[in-house]
Amino acid sequence: MGGCAGEERLARVRLNFFACHKSDWLLRLMELYGGAAELLKRPAAEIAAEGGVMPETAERLAAQTAAADPEKELRAAERCGVLVLTALDEGYPELLKEIYDPPLVLYLRGDFKPLPAAAIVGTRRATPYGLRTAARLAGELAGAGVAVVSGLARGVDTAAHLAAVEAGGVTWAALGTGLNRIYPEENRRLAAKIAEAGGALVSEFPLDKGPLQANFPRRNRVISGLSLATVVVEGGFESGALITARFALEQGREVLAVPGPVDSPVSRGPNYFIKNGAYPAETGEDVIACFPPERLFGLRLRPAPGGPSEAALRALSPDGLEAYGAIAAAEEGLSADEVTCRLGWPVQRAAAALFELETSPLLVSRNGRYCRAL
Amino acid sequence: MLSKLRTLCLKGIDGREVNAEVYIASGLPAYTVVGLPDAAVKEAKDRVVAAVRNSGFDFPSKRITVNLAPAEIKKAGTHFDLPIALGVLAAAGRLGKKPPAALEDTFFIGELALDGSVRPVAGVLPMLLALKGRGKTAVVPAGNAAEAAVSGIKCFSASNLKEVAAWLNGGAELPPCAAPAGRVASAAPGTDFSEVKGQAFAKRAMEIAAAGFHNIILVGPPGAGKSMLARRFGALLPPMSPDESLETTKLYSVSGLVQAGRLISERPFREPHHTISDAALIGGGSSPRPGEVSLAHNGVLFLDEFPEFSRPAIEALREPLEACRVTVARVKESVAYPARFLLVAAMNPCPCGYLGHPVRDCACTPVQVAKYRSKVSGPILDRIDLQVQLSPVRYQDWEAAPRGEPSVLIAARVAAALEIQRARFAGSRAKANAFMSGAELRRHCALPEGASSVLETAMNKLGFSARSLDKILRISRTIADLDRCAAIKREHVIEAVQYRMLDKAAVPAGVA
Repeated sequence: MGGCAGEERLARVRLNFFACHKSDWLLRLMELYGGAAELLKRPAAEIAAEGGVMPETAERLAAQTAAADPEKELRAAERCGVLVLTALDEGYPELLKEIYDPPLVLYLRGDFKPLPAAAIVGTRRATPYGLRTAARLAGELAGAGVAVVSGLARGVDTAAHLAAVEAGGVTWAALGTGLNRIYPEENRRLAAKIAEAGGALVSEFPLDKGPLQANFPRRNRVISGLSLATVVVEGGFESGALITARFALEQGREVLAVPGPVDSPVSRGPNYFIKNGAYPAETGEDVIACFPPERLFGLRLRPAPGGPSEAALRALSPDGLEAYGAIAAAEEGLSADEVTCRLGWPVQRAAAALFELETSPLLVSRNGRYCRAL
Repeated sequence: MLSKLRTLCLKGIDGREVNAEVYIASGLPAYTVVGLPDAAVKEAKDRVVAAVRNSGFDFPSKRITVNLAPAEIKKAGTHFDLPIALGVLAAAGRLGKKPPAALEDTFFIGELALDGSVRPVAGVLPMLLALKGRGKTAVVPAGNAAEAAVSGIKCFSASNLKEVAAWLNGGAELPPCAAPAGRVASAAPGTDFSEVKGQAFAKRAMEIAAAGFHNIILVGPPGAGKSMLARRFGALLPPMSPDESLETTKLYSVSGLVQAGRLISERPFREPHHTISDAALIGGGSSPRPGEVSLAHNGVLFLDEFPEFSRPAIEALREPLEACRVTVARVKESVAYPARFLLVAAMNPCPCGYLGHPVRDCACTPVQVAKYRSKVSGPILDRIDLQVQLSPVRYQDWEAAPRGEPSVLIAARVAAALEIQRARFAGSRAKANAFMSGAELRRHCALPEGASSVLETAMNKLGFSARSLDKILRISRTIADLDRCAAIKREHVIEAVQYRMLDKAAVPAGVA
């Protein structure tokens, strides 16, 4: 039986090399023939005739799977410490098995702990408000013992992963590329940090698969599929974050949305979901409240207050406090020059106040603009 | 049948004496120039023949040999025409009456037109300065008379060959060169700092740059006012000393850029386009000429769109920034041009220019931003003490901003700070805070209680490197000088931290 299971596992890794937008019909064919190994033994013409597949597609399937070398792939995975899981293997996430078309194969780097998980997704072009809220929610959830799932993209994804790692928690990144091809490139260090901090990087794509536009929406079903709830932070109507939320609804998972300013284009997605019945997410507690009761064991919720702590504000000098007030009131933050202009201060006075704030946790400076951090 | 005239040539920006010897022998008509002449000197033949004939003399149809001695210096330029033509006339016995002693002490410079008139040439001032204090006289083209007068050498101006020949024959005296009357109007209108609204930090940084001779880079989106600030920078620097003025004028003279023979008395402002070649930037050519860095000597070199300059051009800036001079080495010679300038560089924060813009979206990926910035990193960035971020001025701030301080007020503070530094660096190689050696840095930049914690915080929380701490110390010293404080204070260090923006990591749009 072991040999038989080994053969089936190898066949699935081979079948996974076939590039297609949706994999549900592959699962259906596997069911029809009793497994991937059997499927791959059939000639293309037979698959086309019996499986209701277009003859060209069946030809392509045969050609691409024949060209693949699953043994080599498995050896390469072992060498670089990547675990290759199929639904037959122990360790394949139970929640992911429940979705409509679970990945045939899941490549996994890092440590996959059976934790309750919540996805935090949003646009790559987030506002300071979105970034700060994503970071706060991720920090609270990770601190409570919930795995924070996201897609390692720029913007909200990066903010969520980073905050979870910084809170000493667990975060999982579902990639739209092979695990050897981290995308975007600048998040390579973040990816390494996630794995080091006890989190995991997962992907259904072969190790060396590069970034392809079509593969990113597909990976979103994995993000929502791994999670009990999905939180949409910011995103326009065409944002990938909304695709993830729709997958979550299809999969029967909870969807939450962070309410945003009504006149901001990136608030349209989350506000639309709230209008249609999604829970508004203000704190990590709101997210956890959506979990099924049996998944609440062991979670240690320590609600972090929104906004800066009283103590941090009290520690500021009067100038620092005044500058902080001016900066916090500006939506997009202020540049150093704007601070001097608005407050009518000389340069030296503003420099001292900005230095004080910049080295406190209250403020972040981003490309010459100062924004409130909390 | 042999004659010897004196003339001058240039080596770098220094004049050298040259003897133009002409020997006329019987034989088939021929004309040979020896003594390492370049193409322009060889071409002198055709001009000399025509000029001599058109001035009413015969050109001897004999075997003529011209030797420019000493033979090991490369001779370039067209100013040997006049001495060669006079040499031919002398050798042919047409200039007999003037005693040879006068020829011995008179140096001739000038290019000849075919009709015998004398045309102005480049490099008259530095050539004449080689004669300083030796009681010699010179004959220069009338078009260079004003420039020649500046040298302090007794000079006569020549407008055509016939006139000079007549003078040597004991005829009418040549008119002496006189210095031009009046000064060039200073400071073009519309270039005062008070016209710059907002940008308080950038203006302050420019004040500091001027006060300590720190190089500065302005980083900001298009339209933030980088060029506007840079063009007004020269007004902050103290006026040129007579020595500086003379040195800069020499460089302009070598390049043929002296206008109306006036000394350059305003600090030069050079603004080469970013497509400039490295040779044009630092100087070069087969017969070397000063580049933009030398033309900016004692003034300001403004490089807009700094990362767009070619890598060889950027790398070539290393030598002048470190040694304040450029050495151009060629097979036949190697010359050095002074190049002590203050570098004002400007760049966008990212390739599209809108990273960190409050309203517009930046379309660059972080990899593109890193690549763009890496062009100015390394050894060049290491020579630029001040790095300032400019943000676009929003209308509300623009409207509310008071008129800035006029340049003269800032210049007064700068002058006072430079005075303090003059006393500090008496007897040292460094002339300003930017040039302090490591030992001087330790001696003059002792930190007060509480200030070292500022540096520690900057390193730990803002990600500054140990190298940038050195820069912060230098800048703090200049800020303290502007404040007329003998010791650096904590607030000076805190302000200095603001002027090292490129040390902070670039954060791509949409990343926490």
